[in-house]
Amino acid sequence: MGRLFAVEIVYRGIFQKTLAKNISRAIVLAAHQEGKPGISFGRYGDSPERNGVPAKNFAIVATDDQTLEEGMAKYEPKEVDISIAVDDTLCKGVESWAWYGLQPINRLLKPGGTLIVTSREEPEALIEMCHRKEYPYQLAIVKGIPSFSGLWVYKEDHSDVRILGAIAKVLPELFSLESVQKAIRAEWKDELKATSAARSYERITTVTVPPNQGNPEEPFKFELPKWSEMREGVTIPAIPRGHAMENTATQQVGGWQPERNPTFKKFSTRTMRPVVDFDTCIKCTLCWLQCPDSCFDVTPDGLYDANMQACCGCGVCEAVCPVQKCVTMVNETQFRDNDSQWEMWNKDKEGYKKWLLEKIEHGPGPQRSHGFRYRGQYEEQVPEMLEIAREG
Amino acid sequence: MATFVDIQPTQQLDPIKGVKKMPLEEFFTSGHRTCQGCESALVMKLMAKAAGPRTVVLGSTGCMYVANTTYYSTSWVVPWMHTQLGSSGSAAMGAASGLKALMRKGKIKDEPINVIAFCGDGGGADMGLSAISAALTHPDYNLLILMYDNESYANTDIQLSGSTPYGAHTTFSPPGKMKRIMHHRWKKNMAGMLAAGHPTCKYIATVCMSYPLQAMNSVRKALSIGGPTFIHSLDPCPKGWDYDPMQSHEMGELAVTTGVWPLYEVEEGVIRLYGKTKEIAEGRYKRFPVRDYLLRQGRFAHFTDDDIDYFQSKVDQMWDKWLVPGVIPFLKEVETDHPPK
Repeated sequence: MGRLFAVEIVYRGIFQKTLAKNISRAIVLAAHQEGKPGISFGRYGDSPERNGVPAKNFAIVATDDQTLEEGMAKYEPKEVDISIAVDDTLCKGVESWAWYGLQPINRLLKPGGTLIVTSREEPEALIEMCHRKEYPYQLAIVKGIPSFSGLWVYKEDHSDVRILGAIAKVLPELFSLESVQKAIRAEWKDELKATSAARSYERITTVTVPPNQGNPEEPFKFELPKWSEMREGVTIPAIPRGHAMENTATQQVGGWQPERNPTFKKFSTRTMRPVVDFDTCIKCTLCWLQCPDSCFDVTPDGLYDANMQACCGCGVCEAVCPVQKCVTMVNETQFRDNDSQWEMWNKDKEGYKKWLLEKIEHGPGPQRSHGFRYRGQYEEQVPEMLEIAREG
Repeated sequence: MATFVDIQPTQQLDPIKGVKKMPLEEFFTSGHRTCQGCESALVMKLMAKAAGPRTVVLGSTGCMYVANTTYYSTSWVVPWMHTQLGSSGSAAMGAASGLKALMRKGKIKDEPINVIAFCGDGGGADMGLSAISAALTHPDYNLLILMYDNESYANTDIQLSGSTPYGAHTTFSPPGKMKRIMHHRWKKNMAGMLAAGHPTCKYIATVCMSYPLQAMNSVRKALSIGGPTFIHSLDPCPKGWDYDPMQSHEMGELAVTTGVWPLYEVEEGVIRLYGKTKEIAEGRYKRFPVRDYLLRQGRFAHFTDDDIDYFQSKVDQMWDKWLVPGVIPFLKEVETDHPPK
């Protein structure tokens, strides 16, 4: 009986679809170089993908055909040797498109398996984001800005081959750096990409995450009804009507808080979140009105509080806000909870202002870009991303 | 004609006077599985907000069915039911006549209830056209058919539809090295065609949710004018058009200010351009070049300058040569057409 290797690539739907496909395909091609058969596929339940909603690709490789067949008899792997998060905010958990509840990024990792993350954060920050595991695992960081592009135009910033180089280092039994480089040359005919893979191989460092380190929260789950419990016509109750909000400090009642779908929260889609300066808000209504996800609660004092369970971080609110730095999108890695900003502001206005400025000015992390803004933009961004890659 | 028409009163839905007078309550809420920056979800939200609580919504297959109401989950506060891909017209008719019959028989309270059926451009402009046309010829039922047009079969990963613009990159029209432009058809003129061909239909409009107040008042007028009505909404789609979702609102504005998407309503046969479109038609606002719109989208990333010029010439023709500018493509004489090779 041979050995079966399983690698999952967790990525942002559409934004990283081509990137994830490139990685999982090249894993199998590199393994072929060593005579190992393999297969790469996307998770059926994640299709059709939606921009930003987490999705998965798998690469399954075996030392012989029979072992591969046995591995493929499963719908998808129950455990993996390597989990790859091509965007670091995925470490907060994955609420897939057709899945219910939040799954930890390291859920499928075997004891001692490796989580590879593309990030500019330090290991401590990433470990804090990942849910706790009972057994130790490895964390490897490929230093870089997570690569985002769209469905049609791909950003050629070597993110794909840098991950491949890292895999060769953390799991040499799967394939060697040489095999990866052979596969890269055959697939892309680009010597520079082969060099990028080698550089990543040399630079990648791994830390061991001890048991029970990380986010202690229990990821949210739902009980779905069994077929025998369904109602006639498979009807389901509508979302109840919302209610006015109350300011607990002043007992002022007013505004509107809609009820929300309890089975899909959407916050794990977010890579940036809006922070709102309530002191400069002119109550123009635009963020609230133009939000496709109805995520703004209308407070009794007529302000708009972005609900962090519902916000998926599209950035439309920032784009439509007429006031400079009233709504600002900040890198999601800067936050540890989904608490209400308005309540925080209500309790301590001075403290809130300080927190807000710190988030906007000191802690936004790398500037994120979520796909195509104008022709030529990727060509402008790639040199900086390659520079970061060179620095390691 | 009125003597033969057996129609019930509609709800009284007054125009919303300004964004600050907007009703606070949501009838389509958070927790749908659409893309970041999905303008079609915004259409659902504001359509439901404009219609109010006494509304029944029917949705044909498409993003707004699959993403909003995945297995055992919903974002709707008002009653919602799925209907088949091409059947938004028949479903709207069936629901409206069913409600009418139940009220006549005293099975439910006799009150005006809004019936809205929505469809995407695939479900509406392609598959559902005959059923929509049929529904619009029946003056006895109060219903609104709203087509949210993201210019492709976006739900199944962007195949081209009759609404896809010339030259756009879709799964069915990938640009290649030998052939750059794989989609040569011009976008179907849905609202204009329905307005020209359905004299019994009292209200047909085009909207874009980048102009939410006008769009919501369009929905209100469509629901209160009586009889079958149709609204065509252009919805920028970050997934299929390939742009950063934060640009969704701006992309809708660009579609209007470049003249690619004209805003108008046809009320009891009277055409009225509104918003920026009206200013363009009256010469008070200079159209932006379509280049500004096209180069912001990855689906046109393969366009050469010739392609952009051709696109511009077709939009110019819409404004300069059409008998009813922006609305109906009848010309006074035959125009030659030379798309770039």
